[in-house]
Amino acid sequence: MLKKTHAPQMIGLVLVIFFALFPFVYSANDYPYIMHIFITGFFYAILASSWSMLAGYAGQFSFGHMGFMGIGAYTAALVSHYFYMSPVPTNFCTEFAIGDSYLIILNPIGVTSSTLAQDCLKQAMEVWNGSVEVTPIPVWLSITLGTLMGGIFGLLVGALVLPLRAAYLALFTLGFSEILRAVISAEIAITRGQAGIELRYMFEDGITLFGRRFEQTDKLPAYFVMFFLLLLCLGILALLARSKFGLFVRALREDQDAAAALGVNTTRYKVMVFVITSMMAAGAGAAMAHYVGIVSPNNIVILQMSLVVAMAVIGGVENFVAAAIGAILLEFMLEMLRSSFVIGPIEVDMTTWRLVVFGVLLMLTLRFSPKGLLMPIIEYFTRGHIAKETVAKRDEPKMGDASRTESSQ
Amino acid sequence: MEFPVIFWGVFAWMISWGVVGSVVTRRVYLNKDLDTSNAGMVGSMLGASTGPVGLILLWIKTPPITSRMMLFPSLAAVGVFMVAFAIADPNNLCVVNGSFVASQISNGLIIGIIYGFMALGLTLIFSILGVVSFAHGEFYMIGGMITYFVTTVWFPGINPMIGIGIACIATFAIGATFERLFLTPMYSGKIGRPVEYGILITFGLAFTLQYFVQALVGANPVKAKRFFDFPRIRLPDAADPWLIKTSRGNLELFDTISISNPRFTAAIMCILVFIALMYFLRRTWTGKALRAVSQDREAAAIAGINPDRMNMLAFALGSMIAALAGAMLVQAFSWLPQVGAIPAMRSFVIVVLGGLGSIPGAFLGGVIVGLVEAAGTGCIPDAQQAASYIPAYGMFVLILTLLLRPTGLLGRRFSSATHGKF
Repeated sequence: MLKKTHAPQMIGLVLVIFFALFPFVYSANDYPYIMHIFITGFFYAILASSWSMLAGYAGQFSFGHMGFMGIGAYTAALVSHYFYMSPVPTNFCTEFAIGDSYLIILNPIGVTSSTLAQDCLKQAMEVWNGSVEVTPIPVWLSITLGTLMGGIFGLLVGALVLPLRAAYLALFTLGFSEILRAVISAEIAITRGQAGIELRYMFEDGITLFGRRFEQTDKLPAYFVMFFLLLLCLGILALLARSKFGLFVRALREDQDAAAALGVNTTRYKVMVFVITSMMAAGAGAAMAHYVGIVSPNNIVILQMSLVVAMAVIGGVENFVAAAIGAILLEFMLEMLRSSFVIGPIEVDMTTWRLVVFGVLLMLTLRFSPKGLLMPIIEYFTRGHIAKETVAKRDEPKMGDASRTESSQ
Repeated sequence: MEFPVIFWGVFAWMISWGVVGSVVTRRVYLNKDLDTSNAGMVGSMLGASTGPVGLILLWIKTPPITSRMMLFPSLAAVGVFMVAFAIADPNNLCVVNGSFVASQISNGLIIGIIYGFMALGLTLIFSILGVVSFAHGEFYMIGGMITYFVTTVWFPGINPMIGIGIACIATFAIGATFERLFLTPMYSGKIGRPVEYGILITFGLAFTLQYFVQALVGANPVKAKRFFDFPRIRLPDAADPWLIKTSRGNLELFDTISISNPRFTAAIMCILVFIALMYFLRRTWTGKALRAVSQDREAAAIAGINPDRMNMLAFALGSMIAALAGAMLVQAFSWLPQVGAIPAMRSFVIVVLGGLGSIPGAFLGGVIVGLVEAAGTGCIPDAQQAASYIPAYGMFVLILTLLLRPTGLLGRRFSSATHGKF
């Protein structure tokens, strides 16, 4: 028997089936473009949903989430750019023997200009004259390394921000992400600074799936990789939210001291939530970097962060599914709003105005529906039948102008 | 030995003893049942400056911590760092060239005063509303944009003071309107977590304002011309002006320190407005009411002050101060819709360093950040690298402050706005 409370699960299932079938059903001319929007949408969905776990569930308003994304992306980029495997030692590079083969660390000579691509590996290749096959680090490994690096930095930042709350935490994490960006733009010898660092595509040599050949530029494999990552993240978040962990981090959000007094190990859970969410951000960043093929410090700027924050808030910051769906919808909306139009004599350039619309939408959502736009719909189905008393007290008084003036008098 | 080895060696030594000092000193003070609030700060600074020697003495004697005990080890730590730098790189401009150092310091001071002034607005908003306004940089940008459009595009040749005035009025109005429309639900306890709401909503405002301005004026850099020219001064005499020499756009002191006109006028104006603001806050009824609300909201309400009205005034005034800083700097830097981000970050650094809510702290913090940035820009050998690191210097200061002394240099431990939280 289908009940009203099952509606969100049903809709979720329908959405998953829709996204799983979409690439096979859709066949219009703008197929690659639409696919690209969805891949980007999944990327933002991972970031928004993990940020909602951090900010909405645990109450840690971190502005360093894009910084963790950047750590994942840059780790993947550096690994895929500087590390190679070779069966024979080059005798030019720094290299370590691992089993039968050698791990080569590139020591580039002319890195500051991208045209002058002379490095120790190229020298060795000239000597070998094509007799030796050098393999780059596989993409899955560099994504894994990126994710792990995100976890390590998450541990560090999580441990450092332990005594900080609210505004101080926001400022600290903002400082962390700004330092990261400055270091990446300044250390040109390693990261190539503002020019950005190139890395291998996710499927550099193409891939054959079920007898169908996909080239490097085909969107379908990347689409499913991103989609799978998103489902994985949502699954992990769902498990966490339903377990004791979810209960404890929500207790942390409501009152850290009270939670500690009731026996919650606040230190452990605060650090853990940082590690888990930053690993998700880093993993998404590494995968996205391999999909786009280039990363630059501009991906870490605060405006990118505000995009994620806005998506999570508009979707519903206290529910990670709402945040994820909100991110996909908003990414789609932002792309659709790109087209400029003309009203009378004025030509409206929508490429900038759409972001103004977006900002106004964010502010209005916060003001009039602080739980987001999707969250109330989900709540209507899941909580509609529960007695009013069980709904948390702070949700009770609806913020309206009438009641506000009443209480301020 | 070459530069990096000595320098990074000393640096690592200082950092490791600083960490050891901070962690262990807190434990030692806790075990002896003493006040631990500043133990970490003293321990880390003493560890960084004297290494194990000072730390062991501290752990044996465990004297009660005074502000002097925090000041001297901190200065000593900075001194050790500078000596290490000088030994490691004896040919650096910062070490051998006295006049370069003097001009860097004076430039740092002047720009620091302007930064401090801008941060003053943020600290005013924070001490009364308890909100860190993430839109502070956008008000700075708008102040500059309006001044540029009034003085250069719409009415060329107009007195720049009028342009600055219009910018102030406009941003005051924007600030007041925004506060009325979006920040009012915070005060009545209808929102579960008002501090987070304040962060997000000002973040949204920043996003909106920045793209709104970009949509209106485009993304090309603009620059206003100088507001005032220096009069021609040659002192002590015209033939040998070693004391003061001015041209229209530049001021030269003692033949070594050169200060450009826009920065000089901006700093002077900042000081004047600061004095006026101090008069307003200390001598007028409204100013006293503002300070009363920042100290204790309920008590002020009992005394007949409407805290909601003061919230609006504080937000509008704070935003106007940021706009004023922007209006004066639009003659010094080229202006873009994105120009607010770095000064906003700097203001965050300064208010945290000076102590959130402390007005003298904001100025002190501004000067310190100005000096740190001048030192960082002038002393790193690779100019391009130094320029890329500019946003990071302040952030290092921010992170150090938050880790060692979250109340800041002159911060009150409990102001009504912090809700006792850090």
